[in-house]
Amino acid sequence: MVHLEIQVLAFLILTIGIVGFLVRKNPIVMFMSIELMLNAVNLSLIGFADELKSVDGQIFSLIVMTVAAAEVVVGLAIIVVIFRVKKSTDVDSIDLLKG
Amino acid sequence: MKELILFTLIAPISGFMILALSGNSFSEKKAGLIGSISVGIAFLATFICLIDLVSGSHVAKTLTLYNWVSVGNFNLNVSILVDTLSIVMLMIINGVGFVIHCYSVEYMHGEKAYSRFFSHMNLFIFSMNVLVLSADFFFLIVGWALVGLSSYFLIGFYTEKHSAVLAARKAFVMNVIGDVGMLVGALILFQYIGSVTYADVFSKAGTAFANDNAALAWACSLLLIGAFAKSAQFPLHTWLPDAMEGPTPVSALIHAATMVTAGVYLIVRCHVIFELVPNVMEWIVFIGILTSFMAATIGLVKYDIKRVIAYSTMSQLGYMFVAAGLGYYALAIFHLMTHAFFKALLFLSAGSVIHGLNGEQDIRKMGGLKEKMPVTFYCFMIGSLALCGFPLFSGFYSKEAIITVSFMSEQGGYCLWFFAIFTAFLTSVYTFRNVFLTFWGEYRGSEKPHESNYIILVPLIILALLAIIGGYWKSGFSEFLSYTVKVIEDPHNTILLIIGVIVPLAGIYTAYQMFVVNTKQTEALRERFRPLFDTLQENYYFDLIYDMVFVKPVKMVGYFLGNIFEPKIVDRLVDLAGEFADFFGQEVTMKQDGKIRSYGLMVFTGAVFVVSSFFLLFHINNF
Repeated sequence: MVHLEIQVLAFLILTIGIVGFLVRKNPIVMFMSIELMLNAVNLSLIGFADELKSVDGQIFSLIVMTVAAAEVVVGLAIIVVIFRVKKSTDVDSIDLLKG
Repeated sequence: MKELILFTLIAPISGFMILALSGNSFSEKKAGLIGSISVGIAFLATFICLIDLVSGSHVAKTLTLYNWVSVGNFNLNVSILVDTLSIVMLMIINGVGFVIHCYSVEYMHGEKAYSRFFSHMNLFIFSMNVLVLSADFFFLIVGWALVGLSSYFLIGFYTEKHSAVLAARKAFVMNVIGDVGMLVGALILFQYIGSVTYADVFSKAGTAFANDNAALAWACSLLLIGAFAKSAQFPLHTWLPDAMEGPTPVSALIHAATMVTAGVYLIVRCHVIFELVPNVMEWIVFIGILTSFMAATIGLVKYDIKRVIAYSTMSQLGYMFVAAGLGYYALAIFHLMTHAFFKALLFLSAGSVIHGLNGEQDIRKMGGLKEKMPVTFYCFMIGSLALCGFPLFSGFYSKEAIITVSFMSEQGGYCLWFFAIFTAFLTSVYTFRNVFLTFWGEYRGSEKPHESNYIILVPLIILALLAIIGGYWKSGFSEFLSYTVKVIEDPHNTILLIIGVIVPLAGIYTAYQMFVVNTKQTEALRERFRPLFDTLQENYYFDLIYDMVFVKPVKMVGYFLGNIFEPKIVDRLVDLAGEFADFFGQEVTMKQDGKIRSYGLMVFTGAVFVVSSFFLLFHINNF
């Protein structure tokens, strides 16, 4: 049995995440987009796990969640530091690394 | 006993090392002592080996030190060849070299680079010993090149004098032309024979080249270029007169006993292969007599006391080439030996004159030195008489024989004999012009002349004795050499002998008339033949021609490469590479704007690209 609906949903959520990451300037919202993308992938993994009767996909999704949680911690800390220095959270104003 | 011969290599190279590594820290006395004693040891070792060889069987011994290279079929041993020819050469080199070293102790007194002088002199003796002791073409070429190098150091000894540096460079370039010729010649021999040792080459050359005589002719001609360059024969002769820029003992060492004789040695050593190509032998004779005559005519008009002697060296070397080319190898080596004695004597007594006049070399500013420097005068006189071939002096025995041979041998004849005897006449004219202008008449210079001290005079006297008696043991000499080279009995002819006696006397008389009695007429003669005189004064414009044919074009090519090709093309290409990288980099940095979102866009575009290309690939493979 193919859970096509699940995969289409995961793809849609992923696309929303990508577009959100690219078009929004607020770092918090961008983080949310990233989380969205990760969760879309989790959804896809679980869908496949169920389809293939394998537990691997579920384990993977757990790992992805763990990594996402850790990443949020680091990322939010960075945002706080940047806000303290620049008094703003507009990501387009953070371009010191340009060539 | 034969191991003693190693000292001829060890002693001079040790002397060189010690003096070179000491910098200039040794006192003059110490440096002179080390320099002279090292050559003295070499001479003693040679002398003991000579006695050993004379009392023994005269058989050539090859002393193999160790196997150096062994690749496939090719074997090269470091070995030394002790036979009668190399011992004779060693006796001349180290004997005359030792005397010259002793002389230099006083002559170079007060020079800044006293140690450097002796270290390079020792290196020179070492190189020359390597050259004559080698048992194969490989170490012959090594010695050959080392001699060129050390002569470069010595000719350019006065590094602050521009003309000396130029002369050294010229000598080096001319010699390298010869080195390259020799190297290629030896490689051809190796190609056909597969070995570089003399023994193999000489025994197998006849069969190896049986089907390819042209290759052998090439090999011989190329070896000959090396001989011509070292022995200052036409057309590679122009370096020798310029080499007079070095100190006088250097001139004596290079142009009497050692370097210039290497070419004659090569021909005599390799006569087996040269004889296989008769044309090459004819060329040797032709070039020899041409150089001999040409140098003698130039010698007639030069005013530098050393340059006149230098031209006489070229002329006498021409005689040696004639003798060797006609097949009279023992005679060539015999003339080489007597020439080494009287030419070293001439150079050293000229040095004594120059020393006594505080560096004056122009014979127009000398004159009347007979009373002021009696010992030097007698030595110079003996040297000149020997050079002219005056009866009972050493030069007579060797030179007269060569002139006779030039008439009597198969390849000889009237023409060759005429040039040989005419050159002998010119030789006595210019030699005694030198003597008369230097020692007769009024003193014309401004320096106060004084006789040199005993350290200079004793070597002169030793050489003077050798220049007188050096020719007496000629038959024994030929017999001694006959163990190594083919020796033909010299022909005798009473009429030619009488002419050979009269001609030098006539030359001396002519010189006396021209430069002592009728000097006014000589002046008039010179004015009348002004163009000829100028041509001779300019050495037949050889330097000019070489300058126009070789130096100028090379300089033009160099100018083109340096000022047009290099900046406009090579630099431009290099710049273009840089400009391209710069342009490309500029374009890429534009993309790297530091904004997170644009990076993100790139990451996603890239991901889409990668995934879709995988997807496409799968599809293509599946269909």
